[in-house]
Amino acid sequence: MKLTFLYNPVFSIQRVKCKLLRVMKLTAILLLIGTLHLSAASYSQSVSISRKNTTLETVFKDIKKQTGYLFFYNGKVNLTGQTLNVELKNVPLEEALKACLAQQNLTYNIVDKTIVIRKLPSSSAMDDNAVRYLEITGKVIDNDTDQPVPGVNIAIKSDKLLRGQTNQNGEFRVTAQVGDILVFTYIGFKTKEVTVVDNKPMVVRLETEVNTIDNVVVTGYQTIKKESFTGNAITMTGAELKKMNPQNLLASIGAYDPSFRLAQNNLAGSNPNRIPSINVRGSSALPSGDGEVLRRDNFTSGANMPAFILDGYEVNVQKVFDLDVNRIESVTLLKDAAATAIYGSRAANGVLVITTRAPKPGKLRVDYNYELNVTGADLSDYQVLDAKEKMEYELLALLYDGGKQQMSQDYLNELYYHNYANVVGGVNTYWLSQPVRTAAGNKHSVNVEGGSEVFRYGVDMRYQTRPGVMKGSSRDQFSGGMNFMYNLKKFQFRNELTVMQMNAIESPFGDFKNYVRMNPYYPMTDANGRYVQIIDAWQKRDRSYDYVFNPLYDAQLSSFNKNDYSEIIDNLSAELEIAKDFKLRAQMSLTSRSFTDDRFTSPNNSKYYEYATDEIDEKGEYYSGQRKETFWDGNIRMTWLKQLGGSFFNVVGLINVQSEIKNGQDFTAIGFANDRFTSIGFAKGYAEEGKPNSKFEQSRLFGSAISANYSFKNRYLVDATFRMDGSSKFGVENKFAPFWSAGIGWNVHSEEFLKDNRIISQLRLKASTGLTGSVEFSPYLSRTTYRYNTGNWYSTGIGTVVNNYGNQNLSWQKTRMVDFSIDLALFKDKLKIEPRVYRKFTKDILANITLAPSTGFLSYKENLGDMENKGAELRIQLEAVSTKDYSLILNASFVSNRNKILRISNALKKYEDLANEQQSETEADGGYRGIPLLRYREGQSINTIYGVPSLGIDPENGRELYRKLDGTLTYDYDKRDIVPIGNPDPKAEGSFGGSFRYKRWNLFTNFRTYFGGETYNLTLVQRIENADPRYNVDRRVFESKWKQSGDHTFYKNISDIGETEVNSRFIQADNLLNLETVQLSFDLDQKYTRRLWMTNLAFTMTANDVVRWSSIKEERGIDYPFARSITFGIRAGF
Amino acid sequence: MNKIVLIGLILCTGLFSSCKKWLDVQPESEIAEPVLFSTETGFMEAINGIYNKANTEGLYGKELTFGTPEALAQNYSMRDDGQDYRQTSLYNYQHTKFKERKDTIWAGLYGSIVNCNLVLANVDVRKDVFTGVNYEIVKGEALALRAYMHFDLLRLFAPSYLVGATAQGIPYATKYTKDATPMSTVSGVVDSLIKDLEAAKKLLAVDPIRSANYKVGYPTVKDTTKTTEEKSPLLFLQNRRHRMNYFAVCGTLARVYLYKNDKANALINANEVISSNKFPWTSKADFEAFDESKKDRILYKELVFGWYIPSMAKDIKEKWFQPGTSGLYLITDAADYIYEKLTAGAFDSRYKYFISRSSNQSSAFYEIVKYRRNSIDEGVNANLHYLMAPAIRLSEMYYIGAEALFPTDPTRAYAYLNQVRSARQIDDKLTVGNEEEFTKELLKEMRKETLAEGQLFYMYKRLNRGIVGQTGAIIPASNKIFVLPLPSDEIVYGGR
Repeated sequence: MKLTFLYNPVFSIQRVKCKLLRVMKLTAILLLIGTLHLSAASYSQSVSISRKNTTLETVFKDIKKQTGYLFFYNGKVNLTGQTLNVELKNVPLEEALKACLAQQNLTYNIVDKTIVIRKLPSSSAMDDNAVRYLEITGKVIDNDTDQPVPGVNIAIKSDKLLRGQTNQNGEFRVTAQVGDILVFTYIGFKTKEVTVVDNKPMVVRLETEVNTIDNVVVTGYQTIKKESFTGNAITMTGAELKKMNPQNLLASIGAYDPSFRLAQNNLAGSNPNRIPSINVRGSSALPSGDGEVLRRDNFTSGANMPAFILDGYEVNVQKVFDLDVNRIESVTLLKDAAATAIYGSRAANGVLVITTRAPKPGKLRVDYNYELNVTGADLSDYQVLDAKEKMEYELLALLYDGGKQQMSQDYLNELYYHNYANVVGGVNTYWLSQPVRTAAGNKHSVNVEGGSEVFRYGVDMRYQTRPGVMKGSSRDQFSGGMNFMYNLKKFQFRNELTVMQMNAIESPFGDFKNYVRMNPYYPMTDANGRYVQIIDAWQKRDRSYDYVFNPLYDAQLSSFNKNDYSEIIDNLSAELEIAKDFKLRAQMSLTSRSFTDDRFTSPNNSKYYEYATDEIDEKGEYYSGQRKETFWDGNIRMTWLKQLGGSFFNVVGLINVQSEIKNGQDFTAIGFANDRFTSIGFAKGYAEEGKPNSKFEQSRLFGSAISANYSFKNRYLVDATFRMDGSSKFGVENKFAPFWSAGIGWNVHSEEFLKDNRIISQLRLKASTGLTGSVEFSPYLSRTTYRYNTGNWYSTGIGTVVNNYGNQNLSWQKTRMVDFSIDLALFKDKLKIEPRVYRKFTKDILANITLAPSTGFLSYKENLGDMENKGAELRIQLEAVSTKDYSLILNASFVSNRNKILRISNALKKYEDLANEQQSETEADGGYRGIPLLRYREGQSINTIYGVPSLGIDPENGRELYRKLDGTLTYDYDKRDIVPIGNPDPKAEGSFGGSFRYKRWNLFTNFRTYFGGETYNLTLVQRIENADPRYNVDRRVFESKWKQSGDHTFYKNISDIGETEVNSRFIQADNLLNLETVQLSFDLDQKYTRRLWMTNLAFTMTANDVVRWSSIKEERGIDYPFARSITFGIRAGF
Repeated sequence: MNKIVLIGLILCTGLFSSCKKWLDVQPESEIAEPVLFSTETGFMEAINGIYNKANTEGLYGKELTFGTPEALAQNYSMRDDGQDYRQTSLYNYQHTKFKERKDTIWAGLYGSIVNCNLVLANVDVRKDVFTGVNYEIVKGEALALRAYMHFDLLRLFAPSYLVGATAQGIPYATKYTKDATPMSTVSGVVDSLIKDLEAAKKLLAVDPIRSANYKVGYPTVKDTTKTTEEKSPLLFLQNRRHRMNYFAVCGTLARVYLYKNDKANALINANEVISSNKFPWTSKADFEAFDESKKDRILYKELVFGWYIPSMAKDIKEKWFQPGTSGLYLITDAADYIYEKLTAGAFDSRYKYFISRSSNQSSAFYEIVKYRRNSIDEGVNANLHYLMAPAIRLSEMYYIGAEALFPTDPTRAYAYLNQVRSARQIDDKLTVGNEEEFTKELLKEMRKETLAEGQLFYMYKRLNRGIVGQTGAIIPASNKIFVLPLPSDEIVYGGR
């Protein structure tokens, strides 16, 4: 046999050198795995060839060029005899070879990067067969748009050999025999099979596959077909989430599924640095009762948060908040026990599983994304008086009436004319606009990926600025990531390294409310344009002054409040197919985060204005805090996927280990010489009795679980999960906790009687139940610990005292969930209706138990407290129109949740006394008079508003009439009469909207609504009824108040200066309709993008929180205003 | 597949057994109980911790020394009421501030008692970690402190032994538990007290304070022939008088026996302190020194036991005993009455140096300067002594002795009284009188001596005598006054 080299020997030596180098390089990579990511894919292993009437020789040259593989063949092989048509795009090498050689009676072997070409042994038989080959031509078009589909893979079903691909115009030319079944596959479309009858040109219409990711559920440990899963989960793709809100991932998940509920924080508004508090399917945590009194509108407890799982390891909410939405492949929200039980002790509040994009093979691709985000403050809820009106109001409120104020009339007259001079002089400052701005944030993100099937890599980088609407506030992020995958036949290996730096700065302008209350007749600056520190001083009866400080003066000082963190996460995973159907996967992730927190208050700040002379060197303050966090999370899991007859098994067994260490220290220094020295080194010393603090927390978790998913003939479905968790947080006596779930389902549509039913295309009934847990408490509660008294030594040495009564029996909070659901799809899946009902019963909630003080402890922790959440969810999707040019899809999703406290501890009952006490104190004294506080009573919702029932204002005397507990009426407010007066839980809340497409234009809208709840309108109380006339107030202050006998009014006697306490008069129905998202997008036809050397180019414009209709007129965003935003985005692929 | 399952099972069992240990995470910034009590130092720190907790503002650092009981004993004038004790002095037991203070006393003392109980629960188990006399010291002090604090609780919250020995007293807590200890009767509590104190006395027989080498003196004096209180190389064994030493236990026993009206035993214990000659009377030079830094206002060497409270210095100076009438003070008439200015008092150095005449625009009054520190130097050398809250004084031992002796030997009883008076520069000798006269004199002496030290109220209660007002008016004795109501939490959550 004469072997012929196709290429000259010199070249081949070079190749050998290259190969050697590559082997060395590969070794280096393997050595550096986990620490360094190197890209070594200089040649890809897939080929793209497009030639007509060509010879094999040319094709081989192409392949060599693209892959670097060498060809060997002997003289018998005729390379130029036959012509052939090749139309391949990004096809793996082996398939390309098969496609080319199949028609030529040739076969091949690959030996160490060399392709050996031989004739097929029985050439005569093959020749006979060749006669019957037909050349089949045709065109593939998209059924929806009638556009040709390029790049569709065409194979013959019997041997799965790839025969070709469609070209740019969707045309194809393949050879096949009569009776062969051609299989057309393309990503995003349903696979289509066509039997070859003759060689007439055929037209193949491909139907789009609606949302491929919709058909599987990613639980983080397992990927299960939705068809066979009984758990309740909702999957969203990264693109869908980006559509909802490109700036805030958590908000867009909430908009997608209303059962993922972000608590409204009326104080923090749209502060970009405030991470929202979240619950899934209602609250299941009670405050433990040792904290301070909680305001209703500022509930920021973290105890309700779902668990966040990113690519298989647990992260905190902050990580998700700061995640780049472009990196997200999909987000799955697991809601019921069947879906979450595999997370055991972390599962009770739902689990959010996020998977990031893995690099895709192919030539080097670059995706660039730019977003310009313009935000502006939404001040439409603030209606304050202008200078003239304010003067008018001050007169009406008898502010300058000597008799009423018990002050000298001369002084008051002088004051009046002084202020009036300002009004006449044209001073009419709109203070509200001073601290706010229209801010523009930028986001650049670049994603580079490519590689072969064996080795793939991805690099992504992001730079994002997120300025807030209050001047000076921002949250800027830089992040970068490197990702590589090594994929051998039975072994897969992936490493992902991400680095992030986040810099958050709070606005130096302070609380927004300080601007709202400033009188419009105050000038901001003096005649020279400098900010004045003291704008006004109201004299009190005792001749001392109430100073009015200019908040703008403090804002221009060098004070700052910033916190940064940098984070490194490395996530390493390996998968091995140890036997057929068995896969072993190990994963290890390490997170290291370091925070710094710096707050400086300038010595010129107004809060030091009244410092006595001996405290003059104590002005100015610097707080410096550092925290380091190290987490690691590892798991090993074994999956078994097997089909045995009609039975299909998907079983996973796993072991999960977690460790968490938090180490922090902070100190405060005081005494700064001047505004210029902002470094801590300029401080005089520690604050009096101040000393450095430190905190160290460590906790560990060990869990093992087994979860099985079984379906029989795709009709009957069963899921079962069992997990055993051990946590260092549990009591010494209860180190291990079992959790479980079970679910059953029935695919009715697979039954004979519903097969091919014209109306019902899918009907699935599911039921599940299970027990999951939550361990959101600090790590050492179960032990008796001693605390050192480092600040106070006794004369005979340092002392230590017992800190707490350690409850050794402390256990985890248990949530029992029951869930029923129906998946119904009608008219070929055009209409989907998915109703669900659930009951979530949480028991053993951790609570403080008050003890008799003679035990030496005031309270201890015990598992006591039961809560119930019942609710229903409904999702509807309608594909109303779907033609080539138009499509219209409508979505609606509604949730109704009823919360009920069933049992609470005595500490929470005692908490009422504390709440009562705080409600009797005015805000100036640090109390919460007139502000409804959170209270807890059995049988009520955790959100219930409590106050004294009011019958309104008595027209006779202008006093408010209250109803006492025994039903009698009284004018006297008594805190013992406090009862539930309103329930803020809406009857239903949800989102609805639609997506409309015209050719390449797409319009997407989403509304959010809730109705049927009630709320306490604080603005009416604080800014109208109890308004302090010395400061600016709400415009409605002119609305009628009671003046004389017979007046029927909503507001009390105008001359009553007492503070109105919490009562039912201010309870109002709370209904809302908010146009949350409007997005218009356009993507450029590939015809044009190609000219720009781009693969795609898309433009989007998204407006968030556009219009808002509410039944309540209330000031929103007390400390920080709410914002509206528009985002412009460009996405380009190269 | 079977092999895999088997390997998996073996792995799992192995992991589970080893990870129980792994899950046992020890806190770092706090220390777990078993870890603390694994060393001798840990026990010492736990003992120091009890004193540390007791010397806080809510307990002996202020409230139990010169707060509530002094207001109840009518030892302060309340015109401006800057310290919010007026309602307390009017025995308005529903007043919020009074309730808050009283509840803090109750919770704080029982909180300290738990610390004693935790030491006692561990001390015998870990006897092996101790060296020298430390085991006896640790256990003895824990027992004695437990009794000392229970005794103060009994004297505040239960009827006196004299009128209600069988009445419900207080819970005598001896265990570390979250379950409320049942109530004991007053006599039951007294028996427990005596049992604990006698046991402590036996253990503390090895107390270094009893050794002849232990000389009581001022810490600012470096001459070791005059003071050896800070000589021990072990910090834990220094300044025995700052802690529950052997004589402090004797003093407490004397108090308890007298409360029980067991005069014989009271006398034995009081005499044990007196006859030890450990505690010299304060010299006139020290008491009356002109230079503030050389002055001893608190009669430091006479303290059998006191609480070390330097952290209170700032509040004492700027808040509680601030100059003027916003702090705790005495109007002129009251001070003159208490110290009997018109008769023997004019020369009494206590009249001269415990209080100081001052005036503002509207009136003249006496500031209480017993705790005043040298204002120029605020360090340790500010005065001759540390800032202390006196707990047991030598003079009280004389008073107890006198009271115990009177029924049998009135002459010696009067001699005891006169001995204290002469140490205070009163040369007039009291002449023997009848029991009523004797008790009156004794009460007057006690009032002069322990002004702002929180002991007088207990004496009125023990004797069930009417409280003498600021200028002599008598407030009749009654359990309504003498028995402070239990905290409402105790009633509700303890099922009292």
